[in-house]
This record gives sequence, C-alpha cells and structure tokens, in this order.
Amino acid sequence: MTPNVEIADPAPRAPARRAGRKIQSVSWRTIVLLVAPFTIVYLVFLIYPTLRVIELSFTNSDIAGVGHFIGGRNYQLLMKDPLFWASLWHTIYFIILTVVPNTLVGLVFGLMVVRLKRLRNTALALFFLPYILPVSVVTQIWLWVLDPNFGIINFLTRLKINWFSEAAWAMPAVAFVTIWWTVGFNVLLFIAGLEAIPREYYEAAALDGAGGGFRSFLYITWPLLWPVTSLVLLLQLIAQWQIFNQVYLLTAGGPYNSTIVVLQYMYVRAFQQQQGGYASAISVVLFVIILITSLVYLRFVRLRGNT
Amino acid sequence: MKKVVRPVLAVSLALLLPLFAWAGGQKEGAASSAASATGGPTKIVLWDFLSGGDGVRWTQILNDFNASQNKLVVDHTTLTWGDPFYTKVHTAVIAGQTPDVMTYHLSHFPAGIIAGDLRPLTEAELQSVGLSYSDFNPVLVKRSLEISKAYGKAGDLYGVPLDAHTFVLYYNKDILKQAGLLGADGNPTGLTGVDSFTAALQKIKSITGGTPLGMSSANDPASVWRMWYTLYEQLGGGELAVGGKLNLDKIDTVGKKALQTMVDWAQAGLLTPNISYAADVALFTSGKTAFMANGNWEVPTMVDAQKKGTLPFSYGVMAFPQLFGNRDTWADSHNISVPNNTKNPISADMLKNVLTLIAYIEHHAIVWAGGGHLPAYLPVLNGTELANMVPNNEYSVQAAKDATFEPVSPVFGVGDPAYDAVGNFLTPALTGQLSVSDAIAKFKAQLQSYAQ
Repeated sequence: MTPNVEIADPAPRAPARRAGRKIQSVSWRTIVLLVAPFTIVYLVFLIYPTLRVIELSFTNSDIAGVGHFIGGRNYQLLMKDPLFWASLWHTIYFIILTVVPNTLVGLVFGLMVVRLKRLRNTALALFFLPYILPVSVVTQIWLWVLDPNFGIINFLTRLKINWFSEAAWAMPAVAFVTIWWTVGFNVLLFIAGLEAIPREYYEAAALDGAGGGFRSFLYITWPLLWPVTSLVLLLQLIAQWQIFNQVYLLTAGGPYNSTIVVLQYMYVRAFQQQQGGYASAISVVLFVIILITSLVYLRFVRLRGNT
Repeated sequence: MKKVVRPVLAVSLALLLPLFAWAGGQKEGAASSAASATGGPTKIVLWDFLSGGDGVRWTQILNDFNASQNKLVVDHTTLTWGDPFYTKVHTAVIAGQTPDVMTYHLSHFPAGIIAGDLRPLTEAELQSVGLSYSDFNPVLVKRSLEISKAYGKAGDLYGVPLDAHTFVLYYNKDILKQAGLLGADGNPTGLTGVDSFTAALQKIKSITGGTPLGMSSANDPASVWRMWYTLYEQLGGGELAVGGKLNLDKIDTVGKKALQTMVDWAQAGLLTPNISYAADVALFTSGKTAFMANGNWEVPTMVDAQKKGTLPFSYGVMAFPQLFGNRDTWADSHNISVPNNTKNPISADMLKNVLTLIAYIEHHAIVWAGGGHLPAYLPVLNGTELANMVPNNEYSVQAAKDATFEPVSPVFGVGDPAYDAVGNFLTPALTGQLSVSDAIAKFKAQLQSYAQ
C-alpha cells in the first residue's frame, strides 16, 4: 500500500475525474483501518475458535486441547453412539414443540397488542418482561411454579404430575418454559411488521366488502407479514437447535436421558468426561446440521416468496 | 481524510486497549504472584468453591489470617462448585496461570491426578511449618494415599486434609418423643436395623399423617447417591472401583437391594419421593418431616434457626444409623492442594507462604467445624472445644468412624459423571417410573460407558 498524498490537495481542478481517483486512492488504507477492529475481534474470537474446534475434532484431546491426531475416529464412534442419536432426536422433538408454536403465539399476541390504543406499551412491556430475565431466574421460577408437591399449578389443578421428572411431560414442560421466556421478542418483531403494513390496504379491502377480520388477515396481513414471519421462524430454528440452558437447569437430561439434547451431551462429554476431541466432533456435526437446515429453509422461503 | 482516519484509529485502539490490559492483568493476577516488589504484604492467590453456610466460616478464617500478621495476604476467589471449578483448574494448569493454592475434593483426586493438575506435598514440606501426615485423621490420609497408589503415584499426598463431611440424620425430638422413639438419655432409640427403622417411620407416619423421612431428589442426584451408596456399603457391597478400574459385580444384587429399600420407603409414603433440596430443608425446619437425611453442612442452618427462634421444635443430629451389616456411611473430604503449575512452578518462597497459610487454617479448624464438618486436624477433632460444640458433639465422633469415601475412580466424585447416571436412572425408580431391576441395569451400563 502506497502512502496517499492526494488527500490533502486543497484545489481540485477536474472534480469528476479526481473524485474517482480519490475514492480509489484513499480506499485501501481507510478500508483496512475501518474494518480492522471488527475483523480482528471476529478472527480472534470467532473464526479461530471455529477452526480450532474442527481441528480438535480429529484428536483425542482432553478439555484443555492437549492430544494426538486420530483421524476420523471420533466421527466413526459418534455415528455408532446411541446416546448421540437420542440427543439429536430429542433436540428435533424440542424444535417441533417450540419453533412453530412460539411463532404462532407471538403472532397472536402481536395481533392483540397492535389493536390496543391506550395500554399498548404496557401490554408490550408485560410480554417482553420475561425475555429480559436471565435463564437461571426463569428456570427457578418455573421449578417452583411446577414443583410437584408445592407448586401452584399442581395445587390449583389437584394434579400429581412431576412435570420435570416424568418422561412424558419433561420435554413439553421445558418447551413451555422456553416459549414463555422468549415469546416477547417475537411479539416485538410481529408488531413492527404489522405496523409496516399500510392502513390503506385494509381500508380498500373494507370498501370492497372484505369486512370480516379473518378475511383481511388471510389476504392482507398474512402475505404482507410473511417476511417477518419467515425471519422469526428462521431465528427460532437456529436458536432452538442450540437448546442447552433450559434442559441443563430444569431436567439435566433426565429422567433416564429422555431430555438429553445435543449441546448438553456435548457438555457432558467435554466437561464431565474431559473428552474435548469427541465433544468437538459433536459440535462440528451440530454446526453442519444447523448450516444445512438454515440453507434448506432459506431456499424454501425464497420459493414461497416468488410464488 | 486524515481527519476521519485518526479518530477512527483512536476509537478502535481505545476499544481494544481494555482487552490487552485485561489479558495482561490476567497473567499478573493469576500467575504465582511474584514476591512483592513494593515491600507490602505478599499476595497468596486462593481459589475455592465454598459458597454455602460453610463459605462464611471459610472467609472468616482467611480474614483472621490476614489480620493475624502483616507479611502475607490471601486473595481468595469463590468459584462455582462441581465440574465448572475443576474444569477451570485444569485449564489454568495447562495455561500456566494457576492460583497458588486451592480447595479440592478427595473424591476428585483420581481425575485430578490423571489430568496432572495436582502437585504433591511431601512430609518434609509439611514439617517445615510444624505439620505432619500423622497430625490428621488417619482414615483420610490413608484413603488419599490409596488413591495416589492406584494411579501410580505411591507415597504422594496431593492435598492437606481439611475435613471429612458425611451423611447424617437430622431428627425432630418433639415428634420422636410422641412416637416413643426417644430414650431416657434424650437420644433416639429403635432406629438400628432396617426393619426397626422402617417400623419407626411407619409409627411416625401414623401419628403425623405426613411423610416421615425427608431426602432431596428432584434435580439433586447427589443426595440420592449418598443414600444409595451408604446402604450399598452397609450391605457389604465393598469398593465400586479397585485399582482405578470399576468393580460393578455386586451392583446387580447388593445395589439392587439398596435401591429396593429406598423404593419401598417411597412407595409406602415413608420417604419423600420427589422434592428439591430447598424443599427438603424447608420441610424439616418447618416440622413437617421427622427426619432429614442430608449432609452435615446443614448444621449451621439448624443452629442459626434455633438461635433466631424460628425453629418450632427442638432438633438433634445423629450419625447415620446402622441399617444393615455395618455402619459405613458415605463421606467426602475437603483438602487444600497446590496446583501442578509446570510452566510457572511455584517458588520455594511461595510454597512456604502457602504452607504457613495451611498450618494457620488447620490450627483454626474449629471455626470450620461450625459448618458441621468433622475437622481433619486431630488436635481440633479430639479437642475439648469440639466436644462442647452443640450439635456437633452429638454425631462427630461416630460419624468420623463410619466415614466411607467415594470409589477410587474418575467416574465417581464431585464434578464427575456418575451423578448424571444416578439422576438419570436411580431417581426415576424412586418416583416409580422405572422398575428397580431396570434402573439398576441401566445405571450399571451407563457407569460402564463412562469408563470406556
């Protein structure tokens, strides 16, 4: 990169030409300087660890990354590991229980809040409040609310369900807590989307006799809201593949491994069994799965958008 | 354009500076702190995991130490108990940025020795501050040396024992009196042998109408493990690991019987089947359960509640009763260890400082006993102060004799994976979701998979 002396020139004679040159001549240095802070942070804290994980997945390292190259052995073992496949299935089950329901609940609440005139911000704040709570607080609250002996839910319903320790209920209960916790963010996105739809469409529809709320929802709101809906679905999909905290804090994978999810299994291998290499292989597989699902989803959404 | 570039550069540097400062600070703070160049007291960096009621007493000893002299000052950090603590220690050792000294569980020594995280302390080093292996509860030293031997480090002691902590039975004297289970001396009677014990529980249930025996199990595999392991050992199950290898042959028979005993209690409504740790303590302190089977670390809770007058009954604490062939009872031990920092080995001066601190802590272990623990240092364990300390004097002597430590294997112990297997398979048996044989078979299979 050559030092640039043109910058400070006070009297440009041929503005058009010089402007072109000027952009080119300052660009390298400026670009590098502007981009450097982010790039450095990005390389050091994101790209480097990602590459290291891929590298570690081919070793028998312990958790501190000291080990020998063992080729694809971790992946071979992984493919034959029943607990890994179980954890993958549990993660998919969790996704089924959360992604679409969470989006629908968010949409319904969004539609309700957007109709409010006076208490709108209050209602929005109430829906958003759980989202700002740390996950540990959220899980503590629900462990008490759903406590089998002293919880208010079992007290009011006179049920005797051990919500987080019966195999049939544990994952749905975790999914419910997750929706309660995160739906506020979706409500926010939906409200933004709903407010972006011009009023005129509804007025025109009303003049044309569309009348009923459902028809204008079906033909105006839903199609025009689709970009937001698809974004919410994608964000959910990516986030829920990475389910860990709630399961770790509410069920710890039990009872009898019925709620163990991929990232938690990775955690167990890495931090309890000190198998950094094997845990890295799990992470890499999850990374690839999320990548593929996101690409497939984007393609699906693009097709939907075109038709 | 320069006008733009400069501020941008300045801002980016400003943003990055704290990062560098932090990285530099890390090195300085965590590494074996160089002897004070400034002439002030030398800093000893200590990591511990003691955040409960005993943590208060721990901090008190360290503060007293700081106040007792002006050459050394302990800078202690309390980290998360369990595997987060041991993961951090291991990464610190690899990075060469360890604390000078730390607390460590006896039950984690196998994993710690394999990982190379611990520096042995020789008899000569201990003698330099007037301590000796023979100053400590011999049961603890013996077990510690057994672990070293099993991992090819015969003769090495990887930590100075601070205490033994064990599983005890807290009881409600008022309820026991009503049920006729309190002897003339005020101590419980008729609790020896599983049949008498079960009969006693039934009698209490018929009087109070509630579940008599409290044990936490929801989201708490540790308590279930402590109870199961105690029964397993009392039934003569023996070592679950020999020479560092798992020895699970008796799990199918003895282990099954131990679990069956607990499940029978749960099904008969005698044992709380699915309550959290906090609820367990709340049930007992509010007078709902007659017994609480729990670690001795809840002693300060009872002492404080009684002092404040919030305890609606008088309580007692006894060593876990003998239900089967012997008195063996689950126990673990806190130790004070030096990390094996090979990149920046501890200096002779710092080692001396650390040993000075350890000696101070041991001499003042009576403060630590306030946390319910059984001091490892014999002059304190056998001293008059402990003999007069209520309720510690009700259980300490017996409990110290019954202490049976975790299996010698990296699979068992604090921060190790066996707890997961317990929570996954033994706890569901208590709630009736898995049959006892199913639970035991799956438990065994999972333990074996950990050892692979």
